Amino acid sequence: MSESTTYTGFWQESPRPGILGWLLSTDHKRIGIMYLACIVTMFIVGACLGLALRLELIAPGRTIMDAQTYNATFTVHGIIMIFLFIIPSVPAAFGNLVLPIQIGARDVSFPKINLLSWYCYVSGAILAVFAIFSGGGAPDTGWTFYVPFSTQTTTNVNLAGLAAFMLGFSSILTGINFVTTIHRLRAEGMTWGRLPLFVWTLYATAWIQVLATPMIGITLVLVILERTFGAGLFDAARGGDPILFQHLFWIYSHPAVYIMILPGMGVISEVIPTFARKPLFGYWAMALSSLAIAFAGSLVWAHHMYTSGMSDFAILVFSFLTFIVAIPSAIKIFNWVSTLYKGSIQLAPPMLYALSFIFNFAIGGLGGLALGAAAADIHLHDTTFVVGHFHYTMFGGLGFAFFAALHYWLPKFTGRMYQHKPAVIAWAIVFVGFNITYMAMQAVGIQGMPRRYYDYVPEFTTLNQVATFGSWILAAGLLMMFVNLWLGCRAGDPVGKNPWGAATLEWEVPSPPPLENFGEEDPVVTRGPYEFKGVVADEY
Amino acid sequence: MNPNINPTAQAVDNVLIYIFGFSLLLLLGITVATIYLVIKYRRSKYPEPTSEVHGSFWLETLWTVLPTLIVLTMFWYGWTNYLGLRNVPEGAMEVKATARMWSWQFEYPDGRKTSKLFVPVGQPVKVTMTSVDVLHNFFIPAFRIKRDTVPGMETYVWFQATEPGSYDIFCAEYCGTGHSAMITSVEALPPEEYATWAQPQPPSAEPRGLIVLQEQGCTGCHSLDGSDGIGPSLYQLSGQQRKLLVAGQSKELSIDEDYLRRAIREPEAEIVSGYDPIMPAYDSDTLSEEDLQAVIDYLLGKATVPAAPKPDASVLLQENGCLGCHSQDGSEMVGPTFKGLGSREVVIERDGKEERIKVDRDYLLRALKQPKVDLVKGYPPIMPAADYLSTEELDAIVEHLLKQ
Repeated sequence: MSESTTYTGFWQESPRPGILGWLLSTDHKRIGIMYLACIVTMFIVGACLGLALRLELIAPGRTIMDAQTYNATFTVHGIIMIFLFIIPSVPAAFGNLVLPIQIGARDVSFPKINLLSWYCYVSGAILAVFAIFSGGGAPDTGWTFYVPFSTQTTTNVNLAGLAAFMLGFSSILTGINFVTTIHRLRAEGMTWGRLPLFVWTLYATAWIQVLATPMIGITLVLVILERTFGAGLFDAARGGDPILFQHLFWIYSHPAVYIMILPGMGVISEVIPTFARKPLFGYWAMALSSLAIAFAGSLVWAHHMYTSGMSDFAILVFSFLTFIVAIPSAIKIFNWVSTLYKGSIQLAPPMLYALSFIFNFAIGGLGGLALGAAAADIHLHDTTFVVGHFHYTMFGGLGFAFFAALHYWLPKFTGRMYQHKPAVIAWAIVFVGFNITYMAMQAVGIQGMPRRYYDYVPEFTTLNQVATFGSWILAAGLLMMFVNLWLGCRAGDPVGKNPWGAATLEWEVPSPPPLENFGEEDPVVTRGPYEFKGVVADEY
Repeated sequence: MNPNINPTAQAVDNVLIYIFGFSLLLLLGITVATIYLVIKYRRSKYPEPTSEVHGSFWLETLWTVLPTLIVLTMFWYGWTNYLGLRNVPEGAMEVKATARMWSWQFEYPDGRKTSKLFVPVGQPVKVTMTSVDVLHNFFIPAFRIKRDTVPGMETYVWFQATEPGSYDIFCAEYCGTGHSAMITSVEALPPEEYATWAQPQPPSAEPRGLIVLQEQGCTGCHSLDGSDGIGPSLYQLSGQQRKLLVAGQSKELSIDEDYLRRAIREPEAEIVSGYDPIMPAYDSDTLSEEDLQAVIDYLLGKATVPAAPKPDASVLLQENGCLGCHSQDGSEMVGPTFKGLGSREVVIERDGKEERIKVDRDYLLRALKQPKVDLVKGYPPIMPAADYLSTEELDAIVEHLLKQ
């Protein structure tokens, strides 16, 4: 920031100077940047734990850690990646940064609550760290906290539960804020039919956040009651039911996977039209399929439980509903591919991540069909196939969408462009490493290796070694990507308002945007989000 | 129906192949279409788009209806085949399974108990299961069946082995430190061999206490030979000093009958220092007073019945699945044959160097306990270590093999 003549927008403009200008800021962009910093840090920590897990599995028997450490490591990996990275990644970081500008607002509806939700997130993260290093040691239940194991283990489950509870509040508050903002603060002319798809998906997500998250909070409190006071709700010996916990847990946690993936789909729906310079194919189909996913996704939770001992009739119903939720996802994929038809396609880094998102998400989604079918799931359930499957959707899907968002929007908010060549090379390495790692994991799962296994029989060795080898490629690619982005943010070439030639509102304000996004006059919207005629990309 | 086609595996594989096949086609279609469009409409060739189309009602309808029909066939095919996994055929043999951290116990209709599941080939087997502590899961990859075991509840699976052999049973529901070690097997025997096995055994071949220890799965965590496990070893307990944690306070005592009784009935009251307080309590429903006394007598070396007779090596070779890879008649299988082993010279590889050695007692012991050290040339290095066998059992096997 030595070049004081350079324009730095919201990075400089603040009612308070210095660090307090950030910690007490109610500016959605500053809060978004604070989220982004925490989330990327958490991603890196979670990824390192994942690498350690893969290293342990390079050979049967003990490699670098004992069984208890391994169990705690995959638990913490899961908790960090899900509650501290995936769930807040796109909505809290990019939602905060982009959403108000995209609808022509100067901030979210409740800026102070927005800041409060960041503090909930940070306190949740601190509690999670305490849970690892205090008391009975890091929780070893898996992120699913299944009873009765979670009520019996002596590790720090209570604190981890409280951490997830706090994080849930952060998520709920963000959801309320976004729903209200989208309803109340759209600029003149920003009709529902002109909302960018990213806003639509955040809208659908926000509803699930508000409606489903309380379930996980209540459920985890019940586990804490069970542990501390022996409430007996889940204890069969006293008339409770262990399977009840699984229902309560998945009533939140299955909709939560749509909290995780929908905003990613929104990012892809922004990136693909921009780099094809064509309107998104089937705008209304895309908008409505997002709502359909949010709705139908709330009715499929028990497909995690085909082998749990619940009734066969329940399996019939939930298997049927699961296949129904596949349809809106398929619609989205067909529409993205059709958007490319007769376009003018530029393979810039965000576009590469977006296109590989389609590939990865298709594999994840199609694998989900096998898991949704009752008979096939019996073999695949709780094997590493499931682990591979949800990494395809969560990492190959949401993770890649997050990287697309970083490459797409960081230049807007830092005002600087990263180097494209290293970005493309890093993308290729990440893509190859990702697919080697998780395809091998799926394959060894089909062979029958159960998940959460510290040790395995010799038949599974080769594929596990392939997966571990893939994880090193993946890690190298991620490192290169992050270094390149960091250098770009610090010292890249300055960019103008619209480096990509995109047509949504955030590209009409300066990069980085000023404190209240728009100048004296409120914006008036006169066209749709993907009408590229006359929109010219700035040179950089 | 072809008797060699496994009914449950077949039901699951049909669905897997159907869905994976369709998925592969779809994935291929999407990927090829994407790559084709990206190359064809690249910006260097088309600086501006050649169409401003916003969508197509008919296309949207088409790719809503078509996938709906496809996935509904998947749903229905998956469901009908699933019913095949649930409907137990008539005449199934009934076995009860009890899961605990981290072992299995199988109880046959005649009251016999084992830690491996012995079944006759060709007969359907229904396993009714429960758990005494946390959730576990009974998973046999070879038969594609899987079901949780839930405390306070009974669940079941059925399967039918169609080929003799040993099939892994994994625990597929995470259950703590020993989760991945909670492995046992289905031993599918030809009907006549099974009939022999199932004959009533001569009583008290082994001390009652030892049988109870094995049946209850104690030896899954507590070794009998002094090696360390998830819990302390049970080797030569009598008079040993123990450091205990009682309500947070450290305490030392010497092992006696009273202590052992408390440690089994209320294990959480006094924790041996250095071990996790994870042992489940064995109340009098699970472990009768007589059995408890037998265990204590055995552990304190006061066994009231004669010590075990010498183990039968040919039974051991059978039970431990050795004959799955090693023939006794000279025929070539996955591993070298046992025929003529006592008078044979073999070429082995050690640290990459080849060496010709005479088969003797030392070599065979090494080959059993550390099969990866000396690899017989020309065979894959896949033999698992037989380190779970006792010294007496190993000796019996070696003696037997040298006479072949």
